[in-house]
Amino acid sequence: MKLNVVFRYVGVVMLFLAAFMLLSAGISYLNNMDSAFYPLLLSSLLTALLGVFPMIFVERHEQISNKEGFCIVVGSWVLACVVSTFPYLIWGGEFTLINAWFESVSGYTTTGASILTDIEALPTGLQFWRFSTTWIGGMGVVMFALVVLPSMGRNKMTLSNVELSALAKDNYRYRSQVIVQILLVVYVGLTFISALALHLAGMPWFDALCHSMSACATSGFSTKNASIAFYDSPMIDFILIITMGVAGMHFGLIYATVTGKHNNLFRSEVTRWYTGTLLVCSLLIALNLYANDIFSSFWTSLRHATFQFFSLMTTTGFASADSNVWPSFSIILLMFGTIVCACAGSTSGGMKFNRLLLGVKTILVQIKRQQHPNAIIRIKLDGIIQDNDVVFGVMIFIVSYMLSILAGTALCAFSGMDLLSSFSGTIACIGNVGPGFGQVYSLGNYAEIPAMAKGVLSFMMLLGRLEIFGLIQLFFIKWWR
Amino acid sequence: MTGLRKRVNIGFLSIVCLLFFSGMVSYVELNRLSRDTGDILKANTHNIELAKEMLDAAHEQNIALIHLAVFGDRSYDSLCRKSMNRLQNTLSQARKDALDKSFLDSLAFVTTELQILTDNYLSNGIARRDSLSNNADKIRQDSIISQWYDKDYLHLYTHLTSAIKNYMTSTQSSLAPRAEQMKKNAYRAVTPVLISLMVMIAIVLMLYYFMSLYCVNPIIRMNRELGNHLTFHLPFNVKGDLKDEVLELKEKIDMLIVMAKKNGSK
Repeated sequence: MKLNVVFRYVGVVMLFLAAFMLLSAGISYLNNMDSAFYPLLLSSLLTALLGVFPMIFVERHEQISNKEGFCIVVGSWVLACVVSTFPYLIWGGEFTLINAWFESVSGYTTTGASILTDIEALPTGLQFWRFSTTWIGGMGVVMFALVVLPSMGRNKMTLSNVELSALAKDNYRYRSQVIVQILLVVYVGLTFISALALHLAGMPWFDALCHSMSACATSGFSTKNASIAFYDSPMIDFILIITMGVAGMHFGLIYATVTGKHNNLFRSEVTRWYTGTLLVCSLLIALNLYANDIFSSFWTSLRHATFQFFSLMTTTGFASADSNVWPSFSIILLMFGTIVCACAGSTSGGMKFNRLLLGVKTILVQIKRQQHPNAIIRIKLDGIIQDNDVVFGVMIFIVSYMLSILAGTALCAFSGMDLLSSFSGTIACIGNVGPGFGQVYSLGNYAEIPAMAKGVLSFMMLLGRLEIFGLIQLFFIKWWR
Repeated sequence: MTGLRKRVNIGFLSIVCLLFFSGMVSYVELNRLSRDTGDILKANTHNIELAKEMLDAAHEQNIALIHLAVFGDRSYDSLCRKSMNRLQNTLSQARKDALDKSFLDSLAFVTTELQILTDNYLSNGIARRDSLSNNADKIRQDSIISQWYDKDYLHLYTHLTSAIKNYMTSTQSSLAPRAEQMKKNAYRAVTPVLISLMVMIAIVLMLYYFMSLYCVNPIIRMNRELGNHLTFHLPFNVKGDLKDEVLELKEKIDMLIVMAKKNGSK
C-alpha cells in the first residue's frame, strides 16, 4: 500500500474542510466578528496546512487500489473528526477535549447527539460550523470532496465505491461519477427547498438554513435548546416531517422520480414498505398517546407522534415533545424505529430498512425451504434477485449490529450509566439517531454522562456510520493483501 | 511541483511558518492573559483603597461630631461636613467603578441615613443649644445630645462601618468568579498553541516520511545496487518511487553503465 497516496487524498479532504471552516469564519465576521471568528480562522489555517503539505511531495496518481481507497475513506472520516474539534477546543466554553470529540463525531456521523447544555450561547459562526460538519457528513466526507474538487479521474470511482455501501448502489443505473453528481444535486436541492419552506413558515433565515441542513443530513442538530419544540408550530413540524421522510429515501430514486425515469420511488418495494411503516407506526403511537391522555386532542397526538417517529426512524433526532414520558407501547415503537432506520442510499445511518426487509424475506424463504426441501426459491428485492452472498452479508451485518449494541450497552453501564440510558443511548448512537430515553431523552443531552461513556458512544457513532465492517477492517488492515 | 530542493525548501518553510505562527499565537494570548490578570489585581487594589478612604472619612466625621457634641467646639463643624462629602464622593467613585453594584446598595442606604442625621444635627441641634441662655437648659440639652449620639448616631455609625467592611470583603469574594474566568482564559491561551504543536508534530512526521521515501531510501538503494554492479557485475536495477534529481541521477548512472559497456566491448 502506498501510504503517500493515502496522505495526498486525505489532504484533499482536509483542504475541503478548511474551506468550510473559512466560510464559517466569514459568517462569524459578518456577525460583528463574534467570538468564534478567531478560533475558526486559526483552525482553518491549521487544517489547510495539514492538507497542503502532502501535496508538496506527492503527485496525482491515476490509479489507486481498493486498500488505499479504504484507508483514504476511513482516514478522512477519522481525521475530519479530529480537525473539527479545533474550533470547539480553541473557543472553549463547554468544550473539553472529550466533549469536543463527541460533538465533532456526532456532527460528521449525522447523529445529532449533543453535549451542550446551552446551545443558544454558541456564537453564530460556531453554530454554522456545527451544522456544516453535519451537512458534510450527511453525504459522506469523501463523497462531498469528490464532487467539489477538480478531476481525480478513475480515483473517484474507487473512493465512491468504498464509501457507498453495496445496498445503496442497487438503485443506480449510472456510472460512479454520475452517482456522485446526482447525490449532490438531490442533497443541495432538498436543502434549499426545505430552508425556503421553513423560512416561509416563520423561522428566521439562519435558523431555517441550519435546520434544513440538519434535516437533509438526518442529523438532528438544532440551534435551540428545546429543539423544534421551541417553535411550537404545526407548519414547521409538517415541513420537517416531509423533509426528514424524503431525506430517508434513496437519493437515486428521488432523482429518477423528479426526472421522470422509469425506475422511480413509486416502483420501489423498499420505499413502499418504508413509507407504510412510517405511517402505520405514527398512527399507532398517536392512538396510544390519545388513549393515555398525553395530549388533549387526537390531532395534537398525531402531530407529535408523526414528528417523533419520523425523526427517530429517519435517524434525524429532532424533538417536538418529551417522548420520555410517553406510554411504554409508544416508547417500544420509537425504539423499533431507532433500530430499523431509513433506506440505503439516503443520508440516514443505522441498520437500514433494506436489510430488515431482506432479513424478513430470508426468514420466510427459510420456512418455505423447510416445507419444500427440493424447491429452488430466490429472494428478490425491488425486483432484483439477491445473491446468496448478499443475503449472507446482510444476516452477518444484522448479527454484528446486535452484538455491537450489546457491547456498547455493557460498556456504558460499566461506566456508570443506568440500563435504559445505556441501551437507548447505544442504539441511538450506533444508528446515528441522537436522542434516546432515560438520561439521554429527546429534550435532554449527553452532557452529564461519564467521559468513558462519551468515548464509547463516539466509537459507536463511527461504527454505525461506516457500517461496522468499514471501521473494524482498519484494525485488521495487515490481513489485507 | 518539481525539484527536490524546491520541495524540501517549501516543506521546511511550512514548519518555520507554523513555528512562527504558534509563537505569535502564544505571545498574543499570554499578553492578553497578563493584561487580564493585571486588570483584576488593579481593580482589587483600587477597591481596597476606596474602602480605606471610606473608613477614614467615617472615622474623621465621627471624631468631628464627638468634638461638636461633647465639647461644643464649633470649629469642627466644617470638618464634619467635609468628611461627610468625602464619604459621599468615595461612594460615588466606588459605584462608578463597580461591576456588581448590588454590594454597594446597603452601604449607600446607610450613608444617606447618616448624612440626613448629621445634617439635621448640624442645622437644628447645635443652633438650639446656642440659642439657650440658661445654664441648666444647656446642661439638659447636652444630655439630650449625648443620648442622641449614643442611641441614634452611634447605631448608624456602627452600621456604616460594618457596611464598608462588607463591601471590602465582597470585593474579595468577587475575585473567585474572576479567577475562574482567568482559568478559562489561560485554557484558551494554551489550547491554540497545543493544537499548533500537534499539527506541527504531524507535519514533521510526514516530512520525515517523505524525505525517507523520496531522498534517503532511493540513494541508499542506488548505492547498494551500484556496489553490487561494480563488485559482482549484477544489473543496476533500482526499484521504488524515484522523482526529480534522484530520478535524473539514476538515469545518468544507467547511461554511464551503458557507455562503459559500449567502451568495454570495443
